[in-house]
Amino acid sequence: MRLNVIKAYLKKEFIDLIRNKMIILIYLIPTMILILFGYGIKLEVTHTRTIIIDNDHSKLSLEIINKFSHTKYFDVKVENISYKEALHKLQTNKADMIVIIPPSFSKDLYKGAQIGVFIDGSFPLRAVTIEGYVEKLLIHGFNIKLPIKIENRNFFNEAMRDYNAIVPGLFGLIFLVVPASLAAIIIVKEKEVGTIFNFYSAPIKKIEFVIAKIIPPFLFHSLNIFILFLWATYLFDVPFRGNFFIFWLTSEIYILISVGIGILVSIVTSTQVAALVLSVIITVIPGFLYSGILMPISSMDKESYIEAHIFPVSYYNHIIYDTFLIGQGFKSSLNVLYFIILCIYAFVLIALGTLLIKKAIK
Amino acid sequence: MSAILKKEFLVFFRNVGLVIFVLYAFTMDIYIAGKGIKVTPRHVSIGYVNEGDIAVVNKIISHFHSPQFKKPKLFLNEKSLKEAIYNRKIMVGIVFNKEFVNNLLSGKTAKLQVLIDSTAAAQAEVTLIYIQNILLKFEHHLKTPASIDIIKLFNPNANTKWFMSLSELMSDITMLGLILIAVVFVREKENGTWDIMLLMPVKGSLIIFAKILSQVLILMAGITIAVGLIVFGAFNTPINGNIFNFYLISFLFSFAIGGIALVIAAISKTILEVAHLTIVIMLPLIFLSGAWTPLSAMSPFIQFLSYFSPLRYYIQATQDIFFRGSGFMDLLPYFGAEFLIAVILFYIGYRKIGRLF
Repeated sequence: MRLNVIKAYLKKEFIDLIRNKMIILIYLIPTMILILFGYGIKLEVTHTRTIIIDNDHSKLSLEIINKFSHTKYFDVKVENISYKEALHKLQTNKADMIVIIPPSFSKDLYKGAQIGVFIDGSFPLRAVTIEGYVEKLLIHGFNIKLPIKIENRNFFNEAMRDYNAIVPGLFGLIFLVVPASLAAIIIVKEKEVGTIFNFYSAPIKKIEFVIAKIIPPFLFHSLNIFILFLWATYLFDVPFRGNFFIFWLTSEIYILISVGIGILVSIVTSTQVAALVLSVIITVIPGFLYSGILMPISSMDKESYIEAHIFPVSYYNHIIYDTFLIGQGFKSSLNVLYFIILCIYAFVLIALGTLLIKKAIK
Repeated sequence: MSAILKKEFLVFFRNVGLVIFVLYAFTMDIYIAGKGIKVTPRHVSIGYVNEGDIAVVNKIISHFHSPQFKKPKLFLNEKSLKEAIYNRKIMVGIVFNKEFVNNLLSGKTAKLQVLIDSTAAAQAEVTLIYIQNILLKFEHHLKTPASIDIIKLFNPNANTKWFMSLSELMSDITMLGLILIAVVFVREKENGTWDIMLLMPVKGSLIIFAKILSQVLILMAGITIAVGLIVFGAFNTPINGNIFNFYLISFLFSFAIGGIALVIAAISKTILEVAHLTIVIMLPLIFLSGAWTPLSAMSPFIQFLSYFSPLRYYIQATQDIFFRGSGFMDLLPYFGAEFLIAVILFYIGYRKIGRLF
């Protein structure tokens, strides 16, 4: 390994990246993804557009309507329309839920009175959540004395904020997708333009070439670790309870993994478009599925549980959620184990890339 | 025009790698997303500590079963249960202490301690609802004054595969449409053949239209494969509306996306620039148009912005057709909106790229 060769190559890479304005995108895209997804993915359900058809007009039915109106979960409109018209409103997406209180509802209490609730099931999670809210609300509305009362203690995300749940998980997605595609593109670009022949014919070793190609995405994205951290803690107000050093170190290792994936992608593709599409496709889905944003990994079925442990994102996000919300750090042996696994991943991927990259036309 | 179509098809199918990617995106990718992304909690890992009467607790615990919950794990004490939650091996922990069992047996209000990892806030909330419902049903003698009859229309079992596979399909169409169509123009720009194209004795607008049509037809073939094999084939998605309406809206939407791609192509000089612009435009388009989370839950400003997004109308129309079963007349505004967006974007794009001088 000769440092001056690497230095020369690096200089060329940096000039290249800055000259074709890549640099703007390197810093724009991760921030954009974080802000868009952070604000855009809303899993909690509020402001359900609710139409209540009150055919009873009794004290009790008014009480029920009041109960619905006084939460943030429902936006209630009491309308005097037929069942058919209401159903049409559901069909044309003008309402999310209809509640029908039948005539003589309060008279029939304890004699088979029935409230009808129709929920638009197109968004499954929303439908299930709304269903739960409605049941809870109506049971409390009837003032039944429950024999068992649940006292729940929420850990890690006490206020159940959506931001705390989603924003830390996005780190694993962003640092998987963006460095990988950048690394793949800067290698494949040489193939497409033809300058790769410089590498083929010059007395430069494979390892020198790979190092020179790894360093620019690695360094540029190292700064992104801090930028995204600031967005998360200041813009989204996510608490940070762990050790910043662990957070930083793990992220650097993880970026190396991503760059390693990018090198592997660059080996099998020959055009920039193909490299971009391939690196995005193979990183986005696992990065999203196994990130723990949508579902904690412990609560996956057997198949996905095993699959999740194949992808590095699950290990990385475990540590990231820990540093943001839990704060055990390396006191927990599991975190240490996961950290070691990440180091192995980084080493294996980059070694594999160095071995497989070709230094001649086949 | 047919000559241009033929040429573009040839270029597309010659690039074997690209064909494979596109096929992958329209089949496996949608399948994986539909099968893998589960937003409603299933198989929630649960652990419990039992400090009271075994018989009563086992009776309650036996109600926690699949598909909502995994088999509950018994922990020796609260400390080891907490440790498992901290290491995120367990999502829900229930502590049955002596006081709870005594109160329950003597008919007083018994307080049940539930420890829950609420990192995934929405899922934690739904899980709490599950637990509450289980406990309600456990008390057989509990009599409610009125029964609550809840029906989830259009997707009664909250099957996430249907929803997810359609969302992923629409995201894929957006991504591929933008990239494929923009690249068709920029490749010629990069190679310097675009000016020659415009010098030909054919109208510039016709060339542009034919080029976009070629890619739209490829997209339509992909949509047919995806809907036939994955959406209907693998996931048995019901369709309450008319499939031809879906084809019509897909066709119009592809042109609207083509319009955006044309504008991208007009302002970028290299394929690399196309790639970047596509990402910058595609991500907000997909995530803020209601593909994954309902629009009504978003901030009013984003809701307003989404009126300019062709994807918004496509998503609503598709959900209306598949789930809500709307007819042609109800869908007319969506068709109109897509058409209008396409025409405006074509005009802007044509002004920039369709003329030599």
